[in-house]
Amino acid sequence: MTAIETTGLTKRYGEQTALEDLSLTVESGEVFGFLGPNGAGKTTTIDLLLDFVRPTDGSATVLGYDAHAETDAVRDRVGILPDGFDLWERSSGYRHLEFALESKEGTESPDALLERVGLDRDDAERPVGDYSKGMRQRLAMAMAVVGDPDLLILDEPSGGLDPHGIRTFREIIREEAADGTTVFFSSHVLGQVAAVCDRVAILDDGELVTVDTIEGLRERSGVGSRLIVDTPNTGLDATILTGIDGVTDVTADGDQVRISYANPAVKAPVIHRLVESGVSVLDFEIEEATLEDLFAAFTGSDGDPSRNRPEATAETERVGTPAIDGGAAAPEAVERDAEVGR
Amino acid sequence: MSATAIARKDFEDAVRSRMVWSVMGVFVFLMALVAVSAATDDLSGTEPTEIIVTVTNIGGLLFVPIVALLVGYMAIVGERESGSLRLLFGLSHGRRDVFVGKFASRLGVIALATLLVGAIAVGTGLALFDTVPLGTFLAYAGLTVLLGMAFTAIAVGVSGIATSRMQAMAGAIGSYVVFTLVWHPIVAGVHYLLEGSLPGLEAPEWYFLLLRLNPLEAYLQVSSELAGQFIWGIVGMQGIVEDVPEESLQEPDALMLSNRVGGELPFYLQDWFAVVVLAVWIAVPLLVGYWRFVRADLN
Repeated sequence: MTAIETTGLTKRYGEQTALEDLSLTVESGEVFGFLGPNGAGKTTTIDLLLDFVRPTDGSATVLGYDAHAETDAVRDRVGILPDGFDLWERSSGYRHLEFALESKEGTESPDALLERVGLDRDDAERPVGDYSKGMRQRLAMAMAVVGDPDLLILDEPSGGLDPHGIRTFREIIREEAADGTTVFFSSHVLGQVAAVCDRVAILDDGELVTVDTIEGLRERSGVGSRLIVDTPNTGLDATILTGIDGVTDVTADGDQVRISYANPAVKAPVIHRLVESGVSVLDFEIEEATLEDLFAAFTGSDGDPSRNRPEATAETERVGTPAIDGGAAAPEAVERDAEVGR
Repeated sequence: MSATAIARKDFEDAVRSRMVWSVMGVFVFLMALVAVSAATDDLSGTEPTEIIVTVTNIGGLLFVPIVALLVGYMAIVGERESGSLRLLFGLSHGRRDVFVGKFASRLGVIALATLLVGAIAVGTGLALFDTVPLGTFLAYAGLTVLLGMAFTAIAVGVSGIATSRMQAMAGAIGSYVVFTLVWHPIVAGVHYLLEGSLPGLEAPEWYFLLLRLNPLEAYLQVSSELAGQFIWGIVGMQGIVEDVPEESLQEPDALMLSNRVGGELPFYLQDWFAVVVLAVWIAVPLLVGYWRFVRADLN
């Protein structure tokens, strides 16, 4: 059974396109990551699934029910942690849970819910107007899992959470998934998604870029890992390394040189070439490719201007990467960055 | 079921609103002032129904509509703007539940406030006079509750249509301004266009019908009948946009509806029709607001 299926789902506001032709299938029981920068259309998609807004075109089913025509059935089976919400300031945490339990006909005990999300009973007695952002987020998470939903929709759940809270949420997601609940996890924080999700969809500017497992994305994007070399020599001539087959990118930044590669076997030749060229190597470490790199490779956007776009190694691996630079542009980019580093 | 849960939850929050209680406090204070000053006067030649006149002015024309608009205008757009509407959807509530529950809850707050107005009227009457015509006072309380409902419906309807707090506020304030300041001059303007003159003491029946389609005017006219004397509105439009002889303005009972229409009153100028007008002002804003809300994109 599919938990979510959208077919050509499109939402436009006048001239503005919020979501274009989204066709997506989320299987039942999956933890599905929905990844994209702010404004990519993630919340619009969730709004469409909940009949909060109506599609300009296309359709969606949630748990087998039509998102618009059978929205009552959908809402009864879904738990939501929305992005950006107010709670009812004058009511206590307990009252919020009571309301959720009453609304969802849940049988959980409020104290058990509090414990799951890591909220104190003392805090639950207070009006939520006094709560911090993280506490609100925890309370809303507790409300979302009330009544054991079949589908849990989390929109940027880690906003305002400290690392401990993020861990707590991860545990809840794993518990829910183990229990058969489908989790739809929307985020622009890539590490969050990678930590819990089975599959990931990347959304950019209202369009679906790709859907794959994390490993699949890594392979297809051609984004390799990085070798980071500490050296006292600044102003390194990057071209001595870019010539090595398998090196995809070189960035000199102060006393560090970052060498991206697609083939792990190039590490030794790189170090060798550096030493050969009179560059002293004080230390080096290996950095695994991050999801940020993947994301940049697939969407062509790059949140960190000091870093180059990872370059795909072969044309065939760049399927679905419309905005990625061609190979020819890479050496120039390297030179530019090397200058910045000086 | 779902709407009841929302109504109960929302009522808890709404009655805890400091703003509502401070507005009520101001009203109680004003009424106390009036009662104290009346108690020191010689009341031998005064009827208990005089109280209705005072309560109508301060309570009915000012306090009830303003509290209703204040309490109601954020009912729906507030949840929409803050994002808690998504939370409600996640708790299995739909658009109809939200709209119905919110209206019921805000209506409860207004009913409380209006019953307070009624209780003050009766209480003042009992304090100042030996006997009070209870039937008249109950009818007046019922009428005032209807007025409160109408303005709650207008406010919640506006709240269902508005996409932002500012829009809802503009709609709420705008509606009150239209009813108190704009309606009568416009109707007088229509009279001027059709008849070539401003309405005098006697005017055609349709003129009075157009006037009483305004919920405040409908309320005022029935209140006048219950009090047995003419009651001025907040702005005495009769002295501004009507061409009424000076001596009639000095002797305001001449301005009672029955004195301004020749012969028997048509059905639409009788008291019960004013109640129908109020009922329409409850139904139409709700229906329009609901109709727009269930079709809207809510982000």
